[in-house]
Amino acid sequence: MDGCRLVFTCIALLLGSITLQAQDDDSLYFQFEPDSLDLAIGDSANVKITLFSEDSSLSNNQFLITGAWGAVEVRPWISNQKGVANVQVKVFKPGSFKLSASSITPDRFKRVRGRMPITVPFPPIAKAEFIDPPRTAYEGTTIEFAARVLDQANITRQDVQPVFKSSNPEIADFDEFGHLTIYRRGLVQITVTAEGISSSTDLRVVRNPVRKIELSLEADDYRTGDVITFKARALTASGRAVEDAPVVFSFMGKAVYGIGLPASGQITPQGKFVAENPGDYTIFATSGGHTASKTIRITPRNIQKRAKLVGHGLITDVFTSDLWVWQGIGEFKERDFAVTGTWEANGEAYFWEVTDPSNLIIIDTVTVDARTVNDVKISADGRIGVLTREGASTRKNGVVILDVSNPYDVKILSEFNDGLTGGVHNAFIYDNHVYAVNNGRKYDIINISDPENPWRVGSYELNTPGHSIHDVWVENGIAYSSNWNDGVHIFDIGGLNFSEQNRHTIMKNPVLQAAGKGSPRKPTLMSSKTDTTGRNHAAFPFLSKSTGDFYVIAGDEHFPFGLGEIENMEPANPRGGYHFLNMNDYNVPVEEAIYQVPEAGSHNLWVKGDTLYTAFYQGGLRVVDISGELLGDLYKQGREIAFYLSNHKNGRMSNATMVWGPQPYKNHIFFSDMNSGLYAVQLVEYDYDEDDE
Amino acid sequence: MQSSWLNTTMMKTMNNSSYMQQLIITTLFLLLTVSPVTGRNYYIYVTAESQDEVHVVKFDGEKATVIKDIPVGVWPLEIEGPHGLTISPDGKYWYLSLAHGFPFGHVYKYETGSDKMVDRVELGLFPATMQISTATGLLYVVNFNLHGEHEPSTISIVDPEEMIEVKRVETGVMPHGSRLTNDGLKQYSVAMMSGTLYELDVLQFDISRTLFTGRKKQMNMQGSMDHKNSMKKNTMHKIPKEKPTWVYPHPADTHVYVVNNGTDNVVEIDLGNWAITRQFKTGKGPYNCEVSQDGKYLVVTYKSAAKTGIWDLNTGQELVRLKNTRRVTHGVVISPDSRYAFVSVEGIRGEPGSVDVFDLENLTLVDHAEVGKQAGGIAFWKMED
Repeated sequence: MDGCRLVFTCIALLLGSITLQAQDDDSLYFQFEPDSLDLAIGDSANVKITLFSEDSSLSNNQFLITGAWGAVEVRPWISNQKGVANVQVKVFKPGSFKLSASSITPDRFKRVRGRMPITVPFPPIAKAEFIDPPRTAYEGTTIEFAARVLDQANITRQDVQPVFKSSNPEIADFDEFGHLTIYRRGLVQITVTAEGISSSTDLRVVRNPVRKIELSLEADDYRTGDVITFKARALTASGRAVEDAPVVFSFMGKAVYGIGLPASGQITPQGKFVAENPGDYTIFATSGGHTASKTIRITPRNIQKRAKLVGHGLITDVFTSDLWVWQGIGEFKERDFAVTGTWEANGEAYFWEVTDPSNLIIIDTVTVDARTVNDVKISADGRIGVLTREGASTRKNGVVILDVSNPYDVKILSEFNDGLTGGVHNAFIYDNHVYAVNNGRKYDIINISDPENPWRVGSYELNTPGHSIHDVWVENGIAYSSNWNDGVHIFDIGGLNFSEQNRHTIMKNPVLQAAGKGSPRKPTLMSSKTDTTGRNHAAFPFLSKSTGDFYVIAGDEHFPFGLGEIENMEPANPRGGYHFLNMNDYNVPVEEAIYQVPEAGSHNLWVKGDTLYTAFYQGGLRVVDISGELLGDLYKQGREIAFYLSNHKNGRMSNATMVWGPQPYKNHIFFSDMNSGLYAVQLVEYDYDEDDE
Repeated sequence: MQSSWLNTTMMKTMNNSSYMQQLIITTLFLLLTVSPVTGRNYYIYVTAESQDEVHVVKFDGEKATVIKDIPVGVWPLEIEGPHGLTISPDGKYWYLSLAHGFPFGHVYKYETGSDKMVDRVELGLFPATMQISTATGLLYVVNFNLHGEHEPSTISIVDPEEMIEVKRVETGVMPHGSRLTNDGLKQYSVAMMSGTLYELDVLQFDISRTLFTGRKKQMNMQGSMDHKNSMKKNTMHKIPKEKPTWVYPHPADTHVYVVNNGTDNVVEIDLGNWAITRQFKTGKGPYNCEVSQDGKYLVVTYKSAAKTGIWDLNTGQELVRLKNTRRVTHGVVISPDSRYAFVSVEGIRGEPGSVDVFDLENLTLVDHAEVGKQAGGIAFWKMED
C-alpha cells in the first residue's frame, strides 16, 4: 500500500508543475427522472437518478446525491453500486434549488456531475385586503388606499403588487398606485386583488359640503429648518367645519439666491412644513376643488460657526480608534484626561493629559495582548476604565479593566474573557457594570464592583434569525443597542430610582417613566425599530431641551464602495447618516428626520444639549443644531453649525480625513481621527480673528 | 464495502500502468529528493487573521518572499478573521474561511493565480479548518464556535462547485482540524473542549466513530450513535485536559495523529483498531501537525513554546526542536516532495506574522517571510521547476 502511494506521489511530482487541470469523464452521464421538480413547501417527491455509461448501459459506479441544507432534504445520500438511486426529495424553503449528483471516483478528474432544477414557489397568496379603508368619501376629492398582501405562510408579501379596481370608474377610479379619484356621488365597490385573491369594500360617495378652506399658522419669523405647522379647516358655506374632509397640502416657492436653484422643502400630509433654503414659499391647502394659500418668508438659519483647531496629538504609526475624555479625581481633580484606542496595531491604548487642550500630551501607554483596542470607556466617577480586545494572541479577547485614578500610571486590574473569546468590539461602563458586545452576537453584563474580580451577571441576545449586534450605549438605566438589520433596541436595565434629584429627568422622558422593571441581570426589552438597510451601527438617546421630544438617534455605517484604505492605504469612501427616531410613544418609534452629509460616511456620535456632534469619517467632524421640532433632511436645512476636516500631511495616510468619534467636553470638542490621532477644536464666530486675542 | 471498493479501484489503476515505468519514475524521484532542490519554486497561501489579508509566499529553495497580498473580507472596520485555507485538489481554487460574520462566518472561493473571488457561502459560527475530499469532491468545514458557553458545534458539508451547504453534522464542543484521508473516504476532526476525535464517513454523511484522545478514558464508540442528544445533555461538561486541536492522517491512511494541546503530546491512533498506539511527548502547547507525503516526518507546531518539532515517525523520536522566528507558532504544511515544512507563526500584538521554512532533510530553518498580523491558516499551492 505504501509503495503504491509513493509511486503515485512520484508521478505527480514528475509532472513538474503540480497545477493540474480537471477533465470530466465524458463517457458517463446522469439521467434524472423526472428532469425537474416543482414542489410546494413541505412536499416530497421521488426522483430516480441513474448514472449511465456512454453506451447507455448502467455505469456500475456509485454516486452521491446532495440537496441544500435547510432547504432541500434528500434521502438516501448515495446510490447503489450499479449507479442507480431512488431518492426522496423534500423541500422546506421557497426558491430555486438544484438536486446534484456527483460520481465517486478515486481519480477526481474523472468525476462526473449532474444537476436537476427544483423550483419551490412562494406559498400562494392567502389574503389581499385594504388597510383601514374609509366607508364614505366626498365627491371631488382624492384618497390614497393602502393594502396588505399575505401568503399562506402569513408572511407579508412585498414582492406582489396589489391591483386596485373600482366597480364604477365613472363614479371613482384608481390609478395604479392606489389613489382613488372621486368624480361624483353614488355607491361604488372597490376591490384589491393579488394573484387572484381579492377582497372588496363598499364606498359611499356623498356630496361634498366644503365650500371654503381656511389656512392659518402661528405668526413668527421663520428660518430654514424650522418646522411650521399649518392648520387647514374645510368649511361649509355656513362656516361649519367639515372635520373628515381630506385636505391636501402642497407648496411652491422662490429661493432668494438665484434663478433655477430650488426652493426646496418638505410638507407632510398633516401640514407640517420645513424649508431647506431661504426664500418665499406659498403653501396650499386643497379639498374638493377649493384651495387656500399662505405665503411665508424663510430667512437663513445663520448659526454657522468656525471650528478652530486648538490642539492636536499626532499619531502616525498606528490607526487611532475611539476616545473618551474625563475629569481626573483625587490629586488630579483639577485636570482633564483622555484615552484613545488603536486599530489593527499592537494592542496599545494611549492616555493623554488634555487640561490644556492646546497641548495634548501622551502621559501613559497601556499595552494589552490584542491587535485592536477598538473601544475605550471610563466610568462616570473617573476611577475605572475598560479596553476592548480583538486579535489577542491567545484568541481569548474579552475586556481589560483598568484603574485610571492616576492617569499617569494606569494599572491593569483584571482581564475578563470568559465566554468573550470571539472578540469584544464595543463596551460601556454604567453603574459598576461593563456592557460588552460579545463577538457581535449579544452583549454580556459584567459586574466590576470588585474590579479585580469581575463576574458576569447577565447577557442579552436577540432571537431573530442571523441577528448581530454592534454597539451598546447606556444612559439613565436604559441600554440602547445597535443591531444592524434588527436596528435599535431599547432595554430597561433598571431605569432611574425615583428621587427628588431624578424627578425631572424621569418626568420628561417617556422611556424612563415606564422603566424600572428590568435590571442588569434581566435586561427587559422596551422598544425596537428594525433597519431594513441593515446599517444600524450606533445609537444615542436625545431628549430635546427645546421641545421635550424624546428621540433615539440611530447611526448608519455603510461602505458601498469597498475597503479602501486599510489594505491599500487609499482613502475609503463610506456613506450613511443619522436617523432621528421619535420615541414620544416609545412603543411606536417614528423616524422623523435624517442628517447625512452627501458623499461621506457616518460613524460615532454624541449629543450635548440640543447639539449633535458627529464623526463623519472622510467628512470630518460635524456639529449640528438639532433644536426645535425636527423634520426632513437636516443637512439641507442649514442646521450644520460647523465642520472640521482633520487631514494631516503626516498622517498614517497623508491628507486623508477619517474621523472616528467625537466628544464635547467643557468648552471644546475632542475627536479622534483614524489617520492622525487626537484633536481638540473650539467653536468660534466665523469672523473671529485670532489676532483679536 | 467501501474499503473493498477502494482496494479494487486501486488495483485496477496499478494494473493499467506499466510497473517498470513507475519503477523508473520512482528512482528518478528519489534521486531528485536526496540532492538539494535547486531551481524549484514552492508557492504557499497563508492567512493573516488580524489583518484580513491572505498572502502568497514563494520559496525558491533559499529565499521566502511574499509575492502577493490579497485583501479579504467586506467590512473595513471589522476584523473578519481569515482563518482556514485549503486548495482544491485540482489546484484551480482556494477556499478561505472568514470566521467572524454577523454573526455567522463564511467560506469564500477564490481562483488560484488570479485570486479573484468566485463565490461565498454562509456557514456556522467561526468556520475554521477545512478540506475537500478527493472521493466526493465536497468540502468539509468545522464550525469552531469558540464563542460563549460550551455547546456542541458542527461540520458543514459544502458543495464547492455550487457553493451551497448540503448538510450539517453535529460533533463536539469547538471542533477543529478537519482533514481527510488520502482516499477521501473519511474525514477526521477533533473537538477541543470535548477531548474527542470524530470520524465522519463521507459517503454516509454522518459520524461513524468517536474516540477520546487521552490515554486514561478510552471511550471507543463504533457505528451509529445518538451523539446529538448525548452532547446536548452534557453542555455543562467537564473540560478534558487534552484539548485536542488538530488531527492529520498518515499518507497510507492507516493512522491519524492527534495533537493534544492541553497535555503537550501527539497521539498516534491506529485506524484499524481505533485505539491509541503511540504517544509522543512534545514541546509546550502543540497546536497543528502534518505528516510528510513520504510518511517519514511528523512536523508539529508548538504554539506556546514558539518552536517547531520535527519527528521521525519510524523511530518515534523527535529529530530536532527548532525555534520559530517569533511567538505563537500556528500551522504547518509540508511540500509534496517532503522536503520543506512551511510554518505560519502569528506573532503577538503589532508584530507581523511570518512563514518559517524548515528543511526537513537538513533539519534547519532556511528562511522566513514576514506576512500580516496573526498568520494562521496555511495551504500549499504548487511547485514549479
